[in-house]
Order: sequence, then C-alpha cells, then structure tokens
Amino acid sequence: MRPVLEVKNLKMYYNTRAGIVKAADDISFTLAQGESMGLVGESGCGKTSVSMSIMRLLAENANIVNGNIYFKGKDIVKLNDEEINKIRWAGIAMIFQAAMNSLNPVYKVGDQIIEAILAHEPNVTFEESRARVAELYKLVGLDPKRMDNYPHEYSGGMKQRAIIAMSLSCNPDIIIADEPTTALDVIVQDMILKEMAKIQKKLNMSMIYISHDIAVIAEVAEKIAIMYAGKIVELSDAVTVFKKPAHPYTVGLMSSFPSIHGEKKKLVTIPGEPPNLLNAPDHCRFAPRCPFATKECWEKMPLYEEISPNHFVACFHPQNLRKQVSKDA
Amino acid sequence: MLKYIGKRLVQIFILLVVYVAVVFFLLHSMPGGIKAMLTTNPNLTPQARDSILHAFGLDQSLWVQFLTYLKNIFTLNLGVSFSFYPTPVWSIIAERLPRTIFLFATATLISFFIGFSSGKSLAWKRGKVSEYVATIIGVITYTVFTPLLIFVLIWFFGAYLGILPINQFLNPDLWVNTTFDAQTVFLYLLLTVSIVGAAILFSFIVAQKVSHRVKTKKIILYTSTAIASALSIFWWAISPYGIYGADIIWHMVLPVLSVAIISYAGTMLVMRDSMLETIKEDFITTARAKGLPDKVVRDKHAARTAMLPVITNFVLSMGFVVSGGLITESLFSWPGMGMTLLNATLAKDYPLASGALIFTGIFVLFAHLVVDIVYAFLDPRIRY
Repeated sequence: MRPVLEVKNLKMYYNTRAGIVKAADDISFTLAQGESMGLVGESGCGKTSVSMSIMRLLAENANIVNGNIYFKGKDIVKLNDEEINKIRWAGIAMIFQAAMNSLNPVYKVGDQIIEAILAHEPNVTFEESRARVAELYKLVGLDPKRMDNYPHEYSGGMKQRAIIAMSLSCNPDIIIADEPTTALDVIVQDMILKEMAKIQKKLNMSMIYISHDIAVIAEVAEKIAIMYAGKIVELSDAVTVFKKPAHPYTVGLMSSFPSIHGEKKKLVTIPGEPPNLLNAPDHCRFAPRCPFATKECWEKMPLYEEISPNHFVACFHPQNLRKQVSKDA
Repeated sequence: MLKYIGKRLVQIFILLVVYVAVVFFLLHSMPGGIKAMLTTNPNLTPQARDSILHAFGLDQSLWVQFLTYLKNIFTLNLGVSFSFYPTPVWSIIAERLPRTIFLFATATLISFFIGFSSGKSLAWKRGKVSEYVATIIGVITYTVFTPLLIFVLIWFFGAYLGILPINQFLNPDLWVNTTFDAQTVFLYLLLTVSIVGAAILFSFIVAQKVSHRVKTKKIILYTSTAIASALSIFWWAISPYGIYGADIIWHMVLPVLSVAIISYAGTMLVMRDSMLETIKEDFITTARAKGLPDKVVRDKHAARTAMLPVITNFVLSMGFVVSGGLITESLFSWPGMGMTLLNATLAKDYPLASGALIFTGIFVLFAHLVVDIVYAFLDPRIRY
C-alpha cells in the first residue's frame, strides 16, 4: 500500500545573516495509514523544522532547497498557496508546541474550531459544525458547554484538549503533534497522551509525535526516528530502537531518561552539546560527543543504511556498540 | 459592569471639579483681564463701570466667583458671553460645535482608516521597499510643522492649481438668496452622516449574528453600506439643500486633507508595531495551519487582536474632534470651536473660553468611559 506521507531527501535551510543553517538535512521517512511515528531529538536538532516543512509553514528566511514531501501522491513542496491551504488541517493537522498560546484570545474556543470546519467544508452548516464540535469535545473529555468560553477561561489541560479537538475537527489523515504535552504536568501529560493514542487507533489516523523525551514517545509511537543535528540517525520500529539501539546517540538518549519499570540505574548524560548547524561539519556530526568515535568518523559522513530489515542507521560502528551495550548490562 | 460604570462616574465627577478649578483659575490669572480693560476704558463713567462689574459678579472675590461658577456648571449653565453679549455660551457652542465635529470627525475617521489599513499591510508584508517608503513619508508628515504643510497645500491646490477653495466653509455668492442658514445644512449633514454610520454599524452587527462565513458577512456589510450611502445621496440630490451641502463639503476637502495627512501616520505606526507583535504569536501560526486564506489570517486573527492600542489612540484624538485644531481652523478661517476658544481667550471672554474648555473636558471624560466599555467588547479578557 502506498504510504500516506513520504518524505524524500528533504533539505530545509535557513538563510541567516551569519550564513546558511541546515536545519533539516537529507531527511527521508515514510508514514503508512494508521501508523504512529515518533520524532525524537534534543532541542534545536530540526524536529520542528521538519514538521513545519510538512505543513509548509516556513519562516520567511526558510527554504526547502531539495527533496519532496508526498502527501497521498501529491508533492507538497510544489503546491501553490491555495492548494496547500486545502491540505492544511483537512489533510494534515497539527498540534503545536505552545498549546497555551495557540488559541486566539479574542474568539470563543468553539468558534475557532468551527472556523476550521467551515473553511474546509463549504457544505456544512453552522449548526452541523457546532454539533461536530460538541462530539469532539466529548471525545477529548471536555464538557461541550465549554465551547462558548474564551481561551482564558480554560485551564492548561483543557486548552490542550481543545487543541486536540481542533486538530481532529476536519478528519485529517495525519496529525503532527509537536511536543503536545510539554507544557503540562506529568499526570495530565500521561492522561492526554493515552487519550490521543486511543483516538488515533479509533479513527485510524496517522500520527507524528515530536518530542525530546524518548520515554513519552515510547508509550505512543510504533516507529521511532532519532534526529541529531538536522539528520535522522536511526529509524526503526519502537521495539528495535529500544531493545537493539544501534546508534550511540540513541543509547545516550535512552540512558538519560529514568524508566519507571526497569531496574534502578544511574542516569547518564551525553557530554557536550549538539553542533551549531550554521557550520555543520562534513564528518559524522555526533563524533565530537561519541565515545566510540574512530578516525573514520572524523573524516567522512556515515551513510544512512538499512543494517537489518526496516532498521536504518547512520553510523560507522553500529556493531561495536551492540557489544558495548551488552557488556554494560 | 454597572458597578464599574458607577465607580467611573464618581471619578469623572471628581476629575471634572478639579478640571473646572484649573481652567477657571488659569484663565483668571492671565495678565490684563476684563476688570483692567473696563477700568482703563476712558469712555466709561465710574458708575457705569461699577454696575457692569456688579452685574457680572466681578466685584466679588475670586473664590466666591469660582463657587458660583461651579454651581452654575452643575446646573448646566455656562453663563453669558462677554464678547457676544447677551448670547449665552451654550448657544455659541451649539452653533460652532457642528462645524468642528463635522470637519474633524471626517478627517479623523479618514486618517484612522488609512493609518489602520496601511499599518496592517505594512506589518504583514514586512521588509519590502514599500514599508521603508511609507514609514519615512509617515514620519515626515507626522513631524512636519503643521502651518507649513497647510500653506504648501493651500498654495498648491488653491493657488497653483486653483481647483479647491482656500478658506471659509461656504461660498457667499451661492448663498445670497437662500431662505435657510448654513447651520441648518450643517445639522442635516451631521444627521445624514450619523444615520449612515448607524446603518453600517447595525448591518455589521446583523452580519455577525446572521452568518458565520466571511464571504456572506462581507456581502451583507457592503450591500447595506452601498444602499445607505445611495439613499442619502439621493435624498440630498432631490432636497433643496443639495447644492449647499455640496458647497460645504467642497470647502471641507482641503482642511480634511491637511488634518488627515498630519495625523494618519500616528495610527499607521502604532498599528504596524502592534501588528508586528501579534504576528509573532502562536495563534497566528495556528490560524495559518488551519488552512485559512492569508487575508482572513491577517484581518480576522492578527488585525483584530492588534487593534486595541489603535483604539486607545483614537479616543485620545476624540478631544481633538470637539476642541478643533486651532491651527487648522485659523489657517482655513473655519469658524469652529478652536477659533472660538482662541478669540474668547484673546478678548478675555472668561465665560466663553472656560465654557469651551469645560465642554471639551466633559466630552473627553465621557469618551474615555465609552471606550473602556468598548474595550470589554473587543477583548473578552477585559472584564470589570
């Protein structure tokens, strides 16, 4: 079956006064109908740049210099403004990083959702759209009566739920959730994530979760892509990424978050910080922080290869690493 | 809300007393004064002088005069003008006010409309050459010495091109045989504008209630505006006042143009700044992501939220609308409130000068109250 979304060799660069920032550099992945994928990485590694490229919500100084993004066979990169507006929300909806500020303070929350429905479905009447919003409110666990309230009358968690309801309003094929729960406390976070996963399964939508927190992603995503410095360094199904991580960065990410179920162990931080994408090096970008780096890593960029079926890694020494991990354990 | 309005009314009352005191004592502390003018007039006998002073209460101490004045104001009695004796101050204001309101309300509305829409577009298409050009021109016209600009305009349109009248508000040759006075025509003009304005506002509210699609809303608003304007133009065309109304409007073009040129840039710059702040907000990204057309995002989401500071600016200029621009009115010989205030002050006509000032004060205080209430409608986060 043809995937609902296919990103091919996407390169999105920012033109800044200091030079070109390669925020997304040669990104490729596919997303099937009903599949949920996680995009994980540190702050500033280009996760949001990838999602903004898919929505074509680029800043003025941002350019997609190369690559294609196929949504149901149509290349989003080549569409004009009117065509892309049709795909936004009805095809690909988004839950933004700052849900707290994603609602316009001067309009009622319900009306903002209705606005999206009416913009995409000209045949729907106002009453029908109100009924749909009421259903969505029930689905995300909000009282439908609250749709006539203004955003400032909502709590943080309620706003987040309203945003989720909004993202579902036009029955999109894909929802991109960019740090959907970062602003919430852990308990609400967990509740909302579980609900989102439930709704996603129920409606058979595709989902892209974006987070810096691999533990959060692990709960909801079937497939995980690890991003580092504008590149995908490892991509596989969630089980493989957890059980047999091949890239040293993935290992580092996993050991820097506590696990509730696993045995107690010391949290390890990854030394150093991500490289400045302004002067991204030509060699492996993780080499300066990598405990396994060899001479080769400092000379060439590793290829993004399939080391076992459906397990893609961009590293010269994925084998070494596996031994190393088992020794530690 | 009612409690808030009550509180504000008390505040307005206190402010008004303070304001009246300031106006009263400032005017009376001017050097010279009516008393000196009467005492130094060699044609007056001492008896006549004393009886005049007594009749106007000028022989009493200033404090007693002030208290009497204050009492009169709260019984809505602004006294009798010295220079237009025995015309009451109220009737002079009633005569001059419509002229000023008509001229400056038109000019202010035009300049706010231009400023609002240009500021909005400038911020939306940031970094274009048009932005720099508009900003520089705006700052120049905003800071230029007003009389100089007006002289240049008068010279260019009135003398060089000779297409616009340069002063007064009507052409005397045309009015020689009329049976009605200019005041009537003025009041009709004001009435027409108010009715059309009310019709547009009403259709806007109806459009908001009836429809939820931008397109239908626009159609309702534009058609009703067009109908209201066409009807009023039709009424003026068949009424005997038609040509006289047109004459007044024709005389208004140059003053309105001057005031609009001078003041549009203030609104434009405030709107541009406020828009630039709003555009950065996350809800603008949300609106774009929802696939709304660019114009809807700009007008419905960005401009609507960014307009609050502009509204503040608008209210502050309401004082201007009733007090009139002194410079503009003098240079165009427009007999409105500004000219009245200037002449009254020069003639030491205390009742008229303080009457004009106090009327403006009351108007501005209430305009502020109205705007605070309007705020609550524009921004749901503001509740009293």
